[in-house]
Amino acid sequence: MTTQQLRPIVSVFPIKGKVKTIKQVPLPSVFSAPIRPDVVRFVHTNMAKNNRQAHAVSTTAGEQTSATSWGTGRAVARIPRVKGSGTGRSGQAAFGNMCRGGRMYAPKKVWRKWHRKINTNQKRYAVCSAIAATAVTPLVMSRGHRVNKLPELPLVVSDQLQSLTKTRQAVKFLKFIGAYRDVEKVIRTKKTRVGQGKYRNRRHVLRKGPMVVYARNLGIKKAFRNIPGVETASVYTLNLLKLAPGSQMGRFIIWTESAFKLLEDIYGSWEKPSKFKSGFYLPRPVMVNTDVERIIKSDQVQTVLRNRRPRSRKYGKKIQRADPYEDMSVMVKLNPYYKTKLQKQKELDEKNKKERKEIVDKSRKEYEDWLYFSEEEEEEEEEGSDEDREIEVLSDEN
Amino acid sequence: MSKQVPETIKKQVKRSFNSKEVKKEKNEKRMKLLKEIQSKAFKRAEKYEKEYLEQDQKLVELKQKALKEGSFYREPEPKLAFIIRIRGIVGVPPKPRKILQLLRLRRIYSGVFIRLNKSSLRMLHFIDPYVTWGYPDVETVRALIYKRGHARVNHQRKIIDSNEMIYDKLQKYDIVCMEDLVHEIYTVGKNFKHANSFLWAFKLKPPVGGFSTVKKSFVNKGEHGNREQYINTLVKKMI
Repeated sequence: MTTQQLRPIVSVFPIKGKVKTIKQVPLPSVFSAPIRPDVVRFVHTNMAKNNRQAHAVSTTAGEQTSATSWGTGRAVARIPRVKGSGTGRSGQAAFGNMCRGGRMYAPKKVWRKWHRKINTNQKRYAVCSAIAATAVTPLVMSRGHRVNKLPELPLVVSDQLQSLTKTRQAVKFLKFIGAYRDVEKVIRTKKTRVGQGKYRNRRHVLRKGPMVVYARNLGIKKAFRNIPGVETASVYTLNLLKLAPGSQMGRFIIWTESAFKLLEDIYGSWEKPSKFKSGFYLPRPVMVNTDVERIIKSDQVQTVLRNRRPRSRKYGKKIQRADPYEDMSVMVKLNPYYKTKLQKQKELDEKNKKERKEIVDKSRKEYEDWLYFSEEEEEEEEEGSDEDREIEVLSDEN
Repeated sequence: MSKQVPETIKKQVKRSFNSKEVKKEKNEKRMKLLKEIQSKAFKRAEKYEKEYLEQDQKLVELKQKALKEGSFYREPEPKLAFIIRIRGIVGVPPKPRKILQLLRLRRIYSGVFIRLNKSSLRMLHFIDPYVTWGYPDVETVRALIYKRGHARVNHQRKIIDSNEMIYDKLQKYDIVCMEDLVHEIYTVGKNFKHANSFLWAFKLKPPVGGFSTVKKSFVNKGEHGNREQYINTLVKKMI
């Protein structure tokens, strides 16, 4: 269901002799449940409140005086003061939470809500997560258990373990299977409790060692009872507070074979409900395939996407461009005909100039000719008589 | 140790629209297109030069003909005007303000081309005190578009730096180059609207030599209102 690395087959080990696989059992579906530290934390913090005992302050504490305020005008604070005289107590302030010997602010009551209700499904979710986490070696190691020498995790052991009666046998088994290092850690780090719990019957503090989960108690409980750090539990009643102590997932658990197999029945799977928890199916993860990048890059997704809109980088930047009337290259880029046009203009101008020159030359020549001719005429005129001239003058058509 | 490329990246590159082959192909296509555009531009520019020349010659001919006959040649009324806003934005009454907005004359010394018809003439009447306008000739239109012509591209004002820009936007109106644009504007063709709206409103400089008085109309030795062909000299001073 998840992309966790699944261990579909788990080896069952004997309790003595040689550490080798005597059998193989399938991994129950619980171990593939989603590991949700947030759910576990929530459920754990609330569940841990459930074994609290009520405590409160005495109802009469600080109230056992008949103190009255002196009122104003006496150059003292208006707090109630103890009546009477003849003792140091008289005139002292009373009742207030700020007063010495006064009642505390909001005296604690026994009817404080000590216990918390948690939704059953949430509780079950948390337990499934916690169980799944016990099979994840990095989580178990990060919890602090010494699991380097174990043959396998989850550690499943033959049912003979359930019939052990002597502590010596139990210790021998733990050493045999490689779990004793964790017990040694517990023994080594046994300390006196810091704080006042030490004289309230909670003197010593121990680490948590391996937890042995069995299906039937045929003596196993007593065998492991005295080993420091080791806890036993029936597979039918697995406690979250033990599976994830301090809401930290990944307890080191040693399963007996029948207990391990029963997990499939107790917690069910996604297809089959639990046989013991009515209507309960294993929780589903929010995402089955968490490799989002891979999903996005897959062919199935990419082929259906529309084309990326082309960024018209052509017009992205501010375009600087010279004045086409000053820079010829810019002008030609915009108007490829421009150079030809200038050339044609030039030719036309030259042609016109030439024509004009011809016309001007021609007319100038004509004028010069006319001048020259008229000069000749004048000379001829001057040679004639006065009389003739007179007649000529009169005959002019003016 | 050979460098192994992850499969997802290989696939991505293959699918990519930025891969080398795709880019190369695109570039080739573009180059081909540019060549086409430039050759078209050359031919059309040639054609238009002839056209303008013919127009001028025809006008002269008709005038001469009329003179010979002893009658008058009435020139066709101008189709194109160039308007320049010569007053600022402070204290403009709502109606002229709206009309100036509609004509894209939102700031002082901005200029637009406008097609002259009864409706636009009436609009001009309202905004006369705020603008000066007239009938531009080819060289004015050319100078404006070449030197101060900016296109409206992707809601941005971009200077027209190549015919490709014009082709991209106005190809469907058969306007592919600068000369096409000039021609469309000057002759107020079928697609004048699109050619004109392609152009951002011209941002001109204040005139060299200044104005006499904007408060008076051009007719009264001021500056505002219709100044017919004298718009050309003004634009030269403002371009």
